Amino acid sequence: MIRILAFVLGLILALALIAMPADAQGPAAPKSVNATPIATTALGAISYGAQSANPGEKLFGRKCAFCHIGPSTGKFMLARRVPKGQAELPDRRDLTADYVKAVVRNGLVNMPTFTRVELTDRELAQVADWLARKGRK
Amino acid sequence: MSILLPAGMNGAAFDRALGDFRRAIGDPWVLSGEEDRQTYIDPYAMGDGLDHDCSAILAPGSVEEVQAIIRIANQHKTPLWPVSRGKNLGYGAASPKEKGNLILDLSRMNRILDVNEKQASCLIEPGVGYFDLFRHLRERNLPLWMSVPGNSWGSVIGNALDRGIGYTPYGDHCETLCGLEVVLPDGSLLRTGMGAMMGAKGWQSYKYGYGPGWDQMFMQSNLGVVVKAGLWLQPEPEMTAKITLALPRFDDAGWALDILCDLRRRDIIQHNIVFGSPVRAASTMSQRADWYTGPGALPDSISEQMMAKLGLGWWNAKISLFGDEGSVMAQVALIRRLFEPRLGGPLQFEVWKRGEPLEKSATGIPTTMGLQSVNWYGGRGGHLSFAPVLPQDGDMALAYAKKIKAYYEEVGQDYYASFTIGRRHINNVSLILYNRDEPEAVTRVDKLYRHLLKEAAASGFGEYRGHISYMDEVAATYDFADGALARLNSRVKAALDPNNILAPGRNGIGSRTHGGDRT
Ligand SMILES: Cc1cc2nc3c(=O)[nH]c(=O)nc-3n(C[C@H](O)[C@H](O)[C@H](O)COP(=O)(O)OP(=O)(O)OC[C@H]3O[C@@H](n4cnc5c(N)ncnc54)[C@H](O)[C@@H]3O)c2cc1C
Repeated sequence: MIRILAFVLGLILALALIAMPADAQGPAAPKSVNATPIATTALGAISYGAQSANPGEKLFGRKCAFCHIGPSTGKFMLARRVPKGQAELPDRRDLTADYVKAVVRNGLVNMPTFTRVELTDRELAQVADWLARKGRK
Repeated sequence: MSILLPAGMNGAAFDRALGDFRRAIGDPWVLSGEEDRQTYIDPYAMGDGLDHDCSAILAPGSVEEVQAIIRIANQHKTPLWPVSRGKNLGYGAASPKEKGNLILDLSRMNRILDVNEKQASCLIEPGVGYFDLFRHLRERNLPLWMSVPGNSWGSVIGNALDRGIGYTPYGDHCETLCGLEVVLPDGSLLRTGMGAMMGAKGWQSYKYGYGPGWDQMFMQSNLGVVVKAGLWLQPEPEMTAKITLALPRFDDAGWALDILCDLRRRDIIQHNIVFGSPVRAASTMSQRADWYTGPGALPDSISEQMMAKLGLGWWNAKISLFGDEGSVMAQVALIRRLFEPRLGGPLQFEVWKRGEPLEKSATGIPTTMGLQSVNWYGGRGGHLSFAPVLPQDGDMALAYAKKIKAYYEEVGQDYYASFTIGRRHINNVSLILYNRDEPEAVTRVDKLYRHLLKEAAASGFGEYRGHISYMDEVAATYDFADGALARLNSRVKAALDPNNILAPGRNGIGSRTHGGDRT
């Protein structure tokens, strides 16, 4: 229990950092070039990543995009606290794989937890690496 | 690490049971650690959710594994709580009614076994989600449409088994099921309808088979684990037209319900119509603090500001029409004739014709946008729903809604309601939003729910579906002849599941007073 509490506190701290204005986090990184074009419609979100060769992006499309791409609750809530243009997760410049894993397994504010049946550790690692931009230009 | 034991079991016996489950379905799919269990806690729990914690999770990959699990559960008397995808948000999600049950998570069984384009039906497993089926149909460009619930994260079968609904002509989800495959509480396998015949060709064509039809027995119940189901899909129509009718005054609900219910009974409107108050729309695109930070219930003056700013009425009814061009255009003309004189302006329908982008159409497109509403109060939000069944009488429904609104105001809860119009009934849905970590909110919500249940029952209106925290209380309101229905349910339960291993207490059937023990 204490471990979980400490962990949640850590998350809150991490969040506080993420919520800082963009200029407090150093210069903005260049815009991604090889990510899937941003789908702005509900239908676009549903097929997000379907054609991707990257397993992390593909999984993100199936398991996360409906809340994080296009007109969606994750995007809506993040738009209130992350730098402009980064409300959709694939655009975030500040995500580490460990942070993604922690949020997925513990939930965050209204993001529910994902179980290891819904998303295995291996699958989560792929999504987390992709969101942390490993192997992305 | 805290361990939770199923009711009446000691640690050693539980370990032996887990060992048998591991041998049957493989180590990785028996999850008993605290961290895994914590991922199964209802995200909308009122408080920490530990009052509905499970003791472990079993995630079988096949029908045979489900059968093996049920047999082992009988040997060890370990209670199982089956879920298809367990996204029953607002009703307890994946959490069991009775603390300490093992969750039987069927989400790995997620194959779409067959889609019959010509006959507009399919055969699926319980782990198939709305998004999965939608993608499958779209990727193959099949002219078959689905109905989806407001939260589409869940399972097509799970939703239908809880008698969930959607908002297209196929929106009475339990009625779109055709043919079930079920593992009974003794581990044996049953097929209902035509599937009861070996080599049946018409399993997805006719629901009833020969003799009594048992499909309803597996809905909102605990008498079997459904492992396959047939589902009817809607053949893509030639045209749809849709519109949201904004009714400016609270009292407009009375006359509008009467007209809309009549159209529904005549099948001119073929879908469940939803009719929501301002917070319904506002909560999917904003938070309470954007409008009001004062104490108590949101004042009507603020609701009116919302209406003005968002172009809403007090009630906002989304109506869709489906069919060939001639009939859709005739229905549009009829609805304009009925509503324009009352609303005092022309109605603009959005019309879709086959071949145009689907977004324009009235088809069901899976979405989770509705989940935004739980952010209303801020913090970790939750959502509870109380939805009693009323007959289709506008005055009666309006009088009931007024009483409920006054009570929301009395306890200081923001009024958020909708009417859902079915084929012969109206559900006056009371939606209750809260911040789960705010103890006063949780107390208020509990008080409100219990009051609504009592008030509705006293008026002769029963709840249609139950949250795990109130299943016994709701069941107790079905009290004709001193609880004759409950007695029948208990007798059937005892006959089919003498060890009470399947979802004890689901919908008030087989409830025990003692939950699990924490060590
Ligand atoms: C904002 C919001 C909007 C919503 N809108 C709607 C809506 O419009 N319509 C609607 O219907 N619901 C709605 N819901 C409620 C809920 O989220 C959905 O009904 C969801 O589809 C249920 O989850 P699921 O499909 O994963 O079912 P599950 O959680 O898998 O199943 C529900 C229950 O059925 C039983 N069950 C499931 N599978 C089996 C099986 N194979 N064998 C035996 N028993 C089984 C279990 O008791 C289980 O707890 C909404 C919720 C929220 C928060």
